[in-house]
Amino acid sequence: MSVTTFDLASLDFDAIARRNDQARIQRIVMFSVTAILALAWLTPFYYLAISIFKSNAEYGMGSPLALPTSFAPVIENITEAWSKAKMGSGMLNSLLYGLVGGAAAIFIAALASYGLTRIDFRGKGFWFMLIFSGTIFPLQMYLIPLFMGYNKLGLTNSRLGMMLFYTAVCIPFPVLVLRNYMAGLPREMDEAARIDGCSEFRIFRSIVLPNCWAPMATLFLIQFTWIWNDLIFSMVLTNREDARSLMNGLMVLQGSYANTTPNVVMTATLLASLPSVLLFLLLRKYFMNGLKLQSL
Amino acid sequence: MKQQQQAFALPPGAPSIDAMIAAENRRARKRLWTALAFMAPAIGFVAIFLLLPVFFNLYASLTQWAKFSGLNQFAGLANYQRLASNPKFYDATWNTLIWVGVSFVLPATIGLSLAMLVRGVKGEETFKSIFFLPRMFSATAVGVVWYYVYANEGIINSGLRAVGLGDLANRWLYESHLATPAMIVTHIWQQVGLMMVLLLIGLNALPSEPMEAAKVDGASRSQIFRHIVLPLLMPTLIMVTTVSVLAGFTSFDLVWVMGRDFPNRSTLTLSVNQYWESFRAGYWAYGSAIAVVLGVIAMSISWSLGALQHRLDKR
Repeated sequence: MSVTTFDLASLDFDAIARRNDQARIQRIVMFSVTAILALAWLTPFYYLAISIFKSNAEYGMGSPLALPTSFAPVIENITEAWSKAKMGSGMLNSLLYGLVGGAAAIFIAALASYGLTRIDFRGKGFWFMLIFSGTIFPLQMYLIPLFMGYNKLGLTNSRLGMMLFYTAVCIPFPVLVLRNYMAGLPREMDEAARIDGCSEFRIFRSIVLPNCWAPMATLFLIQFTWIWNDLIFSMVLTNREDARSLMNGLMVLQGSYANTTPNVVMTATLLASLPSVLLFLLLRKYFMNGLKLQSL
Repeated sequence: MKQQQQAFALPPGAPSIDAMIAAENRRARKRLWTALAFMAPAIGFVAIFLLLPVFFNLYASLTQWAKFSGLNQFAGLANYQRLASNPKFYDATWNTLIWVGVSFVLPATIGLSLAMLVRGVKGEETFKSIFFLPRMFSATAVGVVWYYVYANEGIINSGLRAVGLGDLANRWLYESHLATPAMIVTHIWQQVGLMMVLLLIGLNALPSEPMEAAKVDGASRSQIFRHIVLPLLMPTLIMVTTVSVLAGFTSFDLVWVMGRDFPNRSTLTLSVNQYWESFRAGYWAYGSAIAVVLGVIAMSISWSLGALQHRLDKR
């Protein structure tokens, strides 16, 4: 029987403590670096936020990063931005395009995905590729023909025309996502309903659709913000104030330097961005889920 | 023997085999029509608003269409020849190449660094949101804000002056060698948060066993990162690169807002050049040809990166 003996003095008991210290220092360093970077990242937003509180004269004088002397000028900035960029009608138009275009596109995509996943027929791959091919061309290839076609049909400067196009352009991506999602739902549910004599549309509406709300809500957020933030199609398909989107109005306002000062343009920018940014801050989880969908 | 034959015999009154096949074919056809009815709205919208324009665009690029006439006059490849001899097109192509080259490397690299930095840090969710926030603003809004950030008395110049580097102050958007890099910086500031989040999703989905095994074997952190994390993350990295290259390549809004009044328009990209030639100058056929060039480049980028992805998947 042998007894193992340790020379206690030679054991380095402090090693663990030192490693913990090291890890803590490392954590603090990582946190500080991240925090400094985040502050740098936010600087343009800080600049945006303080500029809306400055009067024309004040903006022209001091340092652009100086805090405003009072909050009062914001009222005047908002009224000027609101009337010069016609933000009232722009806001309504963008809301209309985003809500109708996004919702219609996702409903139509859900219909198509039902056909692609819950009914057996030959040539699924072909029909899917036909719909999905709407994502492979750069948007620039649509501009000229759309403009000409809309001109011929009298759809330029019409809200209907804008809604129709936004619906179309927002269909293919949700079809990809919803097709994958619906393929994962068990088929026993609809087989049972089919034996009970339910029509296909009834199965779609009462069985499959209720199970797809989560991805559909996320997809709607993605498409709504895309439409809200789009500039080029509004530029090409509208040139009158009553049909143009908010971003288009903002772009026009920025272009008319002569009679608008930066503080007013920035106020318009913040107002125009507020809806989509608030949506993000409130529904962050859904947006992050949407990115997961995108990366599949 | 006899019994087996019995089993195959059809019960009296049953339809013949041929009739049953015919009935099944009928049902299959009915299923096809039902499915088509479900897909009809999607197919209709995509065909009319997206595919038809693409074909019309291809056709128009082969005509002499300008201002109000010439759509019925065939021009062959003359528009494409004109591209080759137009200095504006060269400028635009060169700038676009810079955009593509930078978006190949920087957004994914910076996004990955941010992802590694943010992961596990205290307040990770808040930091993620901060870096992602610019993405929620439209490119138009971001362009407007940064237009003033880069202005003569903007925060960059006054910041440089404040720390005594006033010599470095510049008219960022109005010098031909600075305008494109300045716009790209803005673009990256806006996009990198998205790349970071996508890469974090990829990182969190990686299996942890290989890393733990390597740690037990005494591999250093940089070794683990280089030899285990990076190869496993490759599919996500390629996806992120594809997203970023296509976004940089077709970016219109930002360049339009920040750079449209640059003298000579020599800092514009192909997508803005296309808009200008068609909607400002009225050269519809020529603009269509630029759009076709853009389409070919975009498709070859996504095709080759897709092929690379496919090869990796097979391994």
